[in-house]
Amino acid sequence: MSSAAEKAFEELKETVGRVTVDNPKMQAKNVDVFYGDKQAIFDVTCDIGKNEVIAMIGPSGCGKSTFLRCMNRMNDTIPSCRVGGDILLEGDSLYSSSVDPVMLRARVGMVFQKPNPFAKSIYDNVAYGPRIHGLANNRAELDDIVESSLQRAGLFDEVKDRLNAPGTSLSGGQQQRLCIARTIAVNPEVILMDEPCSALDPIATARIEELIDELRENYAIAIVTHSMQQAARVSQRTAYFHLGKLVEVGETKTIFTNPTHELTENYITGRFG
Amino acid sequence: MDKLHLDQHISQQFNQELEDIRNQVLAMGGLVERQVTNGLTALVENDGDLATQVSEADYQVNAMEVEIDEECIQVLARRAPTASDLRLIVAVIKAITDLERIGDEAEKLGRFAAELSGSNRTLEYRRELRHLGGLVQSMLHDSLDAFARLDADMALKVAQRDDDIDLEYDNLSRLLTTHLMEDPRRVTELLMITWCARALERIGDHSVNICEYVVYLVKGRDIRHTNIGEAGAEDGQTNA
Repeated sequence: MSSAAEKAFEELKETVGRVTVDNPKMQAKNVDVFYGDKQAIFDVTCDIGKNEVIAMIGPSGCGKSTFLRCMNRMNDTIPSCRVGGDILLEGDSLYSSSVDPVMLRARVGMVFQKPNPFAKSIYDNVAYGPRIHGLANNRAELDDIVESSLQRAGLFDEVKDRLNAPGTSLSGGQQQRLCIARTIAVNPEVILMDEPCSALDPIATARIEELIDELRENYAIAIVTHSMQQAARVSQRTAYFHLGKLVEVGETKTIFTNPTHELTENYITGRFG
Repeated sequence: MDKLHLDQHISQQFNQELEDIRNQVLAMGGLVERQVTNGLTALVENDGDLATQVSEADYQVNAMEVEIDEECIQVLARRAPTASDLRLIVAVIKAITDLERIGDEAEKLGRFAAELSGSNRTLEYRRELRHLGGLVQSMLHDSLDAFARLDADMALKVAQRDDDIDLEYDNLSRLLTTHLMEDPRRVTELLMITWCARALERIGDHSVNICEYVVYLVKGRDIRHTNIGEAGAEDGQTNA
């Protein structure tokens, strides 16, 4: 890091740009995350708006995935992990003792880097969530949920004749769309995506990106990506993380043409930083 | 262009590409400036040889525009530049279009100078262009300086000097119209001189454009089709 950038980072008291939105779905407020005694996230405040895609970018180890995982309490599974501050979904704290993490994860779904279909049929992959959450009263309703989820994930036409084939028999891009179908089958409000295309080829990536844009009509989406161009293509707002701090948040169109903070500029233009 | 930290990309090759583009734009600017100076000198000094030289050298300006454009397209396609890198490429693509047009205006000066160089009859009128030409030359020079130094404040100040050029052009037009009315037999020659004045005035306009690209490049702000005086005031400048 250049000394000027280093100094600017040290002097960074609060995030540059507007961290709030007029119509928030989720609100992270002064979030700190520790793994044991090591602090991974420092005082991050950021909203996710309804019907928006927010991209989280930054170098490896900057805390963007850690932050994303706080949004549906995935970090609960790591014993040494402690989360400070608060995260609200529609105004209610995720971390209050009355919240059941399993119910929460139905409302805030997650798609991972590597497609991870269950070792079950395509049908059962999608039906799994609705079954455990009791969303269907009978087989016909379940069929409807499975079909509409596969439709919305843009996969139905490709798999309608082999719904009983194993999910793992699909190509990588199809598996990822299956995982997205599985996520939306339980009618979530927010979808978190952790590098959803990094294992996919450009064509499968383009399909997922197109899908993300369609899903935005009904969901709030936060996506962590290492591809700056992907962030530029799919998101309306972009958040830049650096060494655990949220350096800058802004409209994607501004971040990629005229970012404010030197560190953001250095990162997105591929300068030493 | 140190402000842009062009040499700090992780990719050395990218550094080199941007550096090359930057150097070529500066070279093109120098060439265009020389063309304008020579065109004007040929006109007011009645130098037919220099005039021909100017009109024949315009192809070099055109060739540079094509070459720089090609390099910019390569950077856009292969590097997908963002932020200041993107603004640099966009500013360069636009600036060289204006430079090429300035080159065309200089070529016009050369062509008319060559045609008029047969006699000394219009020399007194042509010398009236000297003052306007001086204003235009210095404005072009300073706008290219602002580009080379990435000095947005300077660019805003330079752009405002176009008002003086427009005023001088209006005065000159009135003067030439008066001469035309007094001596209609010389209408062809006097029209050529009017066109030369017009060419100089246009160079002023292109210089304003270059200044606007400097502001866009440095500050990320588009001040085209706005009041440039107000744009400067927004930045807290106190310039007149």
